[in-house]
Amino acid sequence: MKYVIVGVGVAGIEAAKEIRKKDADGDILMISADAQIHSRCMLHKFIAGERDEKGLDFTELDFFEKYRIHWKSGVRTKKVCPEEKEIILDDGEHVSYDKLLLANGADSFIPPVGDLRKASNVYGLRNLTDAQAIVKEAEGAEEVLVIGSGLVGLDAAYGLLERGKKLTIVEMVEQILPVQLDAHGAAAYQELFEKAGVRFVLGRRASEAVCEEDGRIHKVKLDNGEELACDLVIVAAGVRPAISCLEGSGIDCERGITVDSHMRTSQEDIYAAGDITGRSGIWPNAADQGQIAGRNMCGMEVEYTDTFAIKNTINFFGLVTLCVGRIKPEEGDDIRMKEDRTQYKRIILKDGKVEGVLLQGNIANAGTWQYLIKNQIDVSRIEKDIFDINFADFYHISERGEYMWA
Amino acid sequence: MRRIIVECDKCDGCKNCSAACMQAHRETDGTIYDLDLTDPKNESRNYILKDAQGRYKPLFCRHCDEPECVKSCMSGALTKDPESGHVFYDETRCGSCFMCVMNCPFGVLKPDRVSKSRVIKCDFCVNAGGEPSCVLSCPKKAIHVEEV
Repeated sequence: MKYVIVGVGVAGIEAAKEIRKKDADGDILMISADAQIHSRCMLHKFIAGERDEKGLDFTELDFFEKYRIHWKSGVRTKKVCPEEKEIILDDGEHVSYDKLLLANGADSFIPPVGDLRKASNVYGLRNLTDAQAIVKEAEGAEEVLVIGSGLVGLDAAYGLLERGKKLTIVEMVEQILPVQLDAHGAAAYQELFEKAGVRFVLGRRASEAVCEEDGRIHKVKLDNGEELACDLVIVAAGVRPAISCLEGSGIDCERGITVDSHMRTSQEDIYAAGDITGRSGIWPNAADQGQIAGRNMCGMEVEYTDTFAIKNTINFFGLVTLCVGRIKPEEGDDIRMKEDRTQYKRIILKDGKVEGVLLQGNIANAGTWQYLIKNQIDVSRIEKDIFDINFADFYHISERGEYMWA
Repeated sequence: MRRIIVECDKCDGCKNCSAACMQAHRETDGTIYDLDLTDPKNESRNYILKDAQGRYKPLFCRHCDEPECVKSCMSGALTKDPESGHVFYDETRCGSCFMCVMNCPFGVLKPDRVSKSRVIKCDFCVNAGGEPSCVLSCPKKAIHVEEV
């Protein structure tokens, strides 16, 4: 059996490990545009100079030897041909497969504003190559403009602050981290970044960006007419599944590749996992999808059921935050809050169930909240302060000594 | 694999296990008699929780068969050792994202109090010969190690 996996992100790597566990003799070939294995969640550490390329590797030592996997790196997949059961790479090679996993992730989305897509000093932050280019470009740059104040935008800013750059962040919403946090939680991070020298322009969007003769953008105009000078622009406006190589393949796509609960695509023997499915942008879910795809590729029948993905942790300047479930309050919510010098906590309750949790400053032992939220557990019967609810209230132990939820 | 088996009915909440854990992982030399319980650097990896009825429910890392913490680790710091079955944490690889804290369904993990850059996680006292200090210290025999 020949397994081909496109992509060496967490979904691809986890799939390969599962396949090797289940099939000791199968051929496993991984193909990637990435020349180096790296955790995208740590690119800011590379930009900051805290880690080198090797320090971003999240796999075990000698991973490819240990799992007997062939790896062809630095090539893109150009075309997928289900009829011929092969893929065509951009170096012209045709690679045949018995089972194929598409785990080639997503690409940064650069909005079609002015010449953002054309200019040579505009970058997304998705791959190690982006981070490398940003570091290089930053050498000669003084003023950096970041468009978008989500986790990627702040990651980029955090890294570049370490390099002593002057940073401005533009965000179209009136607060930073609008997907993850409420205004109060966001203000705490805004203050920390401002203390470190970042300027925020909130509630504004970039409306004009003209490429000058040197092919670069030197200023970006906002919708209120303000002009921001910049030597380097980082666009953190989300990602789009990397599905351009699927044209003409007959693989059904919507936002990303459509998959069933077994991670199968619409074409036989082709599976997909991770960001390319457009289903979840978070590491643990991509890992899970990869593992499940891998098992199914080996002939097992395993379903991806733990699909809950509205969850994040944030850590900048040592201020940690956990946010799970719904962030925006709605009518009829029962909102509980607690705040002191060291922490801010907010829980959204509805009909006795926890729908959203935001913990900032202290996230110790907070893992149970995700379980309560995603399984819609009724907590109204528990006679405790809501913030004191923990696993003790659901405590059960299996015969093998594992914890289980009662 | 060897797992710490908990019999919560035997627990009387004395927290000897927590003190033993702090002692086993302290940075300074010394004995349990001079362990500084108020030093934020001394943190226990186990917890005695109470339910709404006031009953003690000991919370110890299970070194799960399918560990959610490992699945959520984006740096490779958390790994399940194929030989012992235990989940180990390599502080030098950790990216301090704390997705493991979010993903442990039982709430066993937490960031360290002082630097918020490390995860406080049971290591089965591997540096002390793999015999967990908490188990040795329990006067009620509410925890013991068993091959499962």
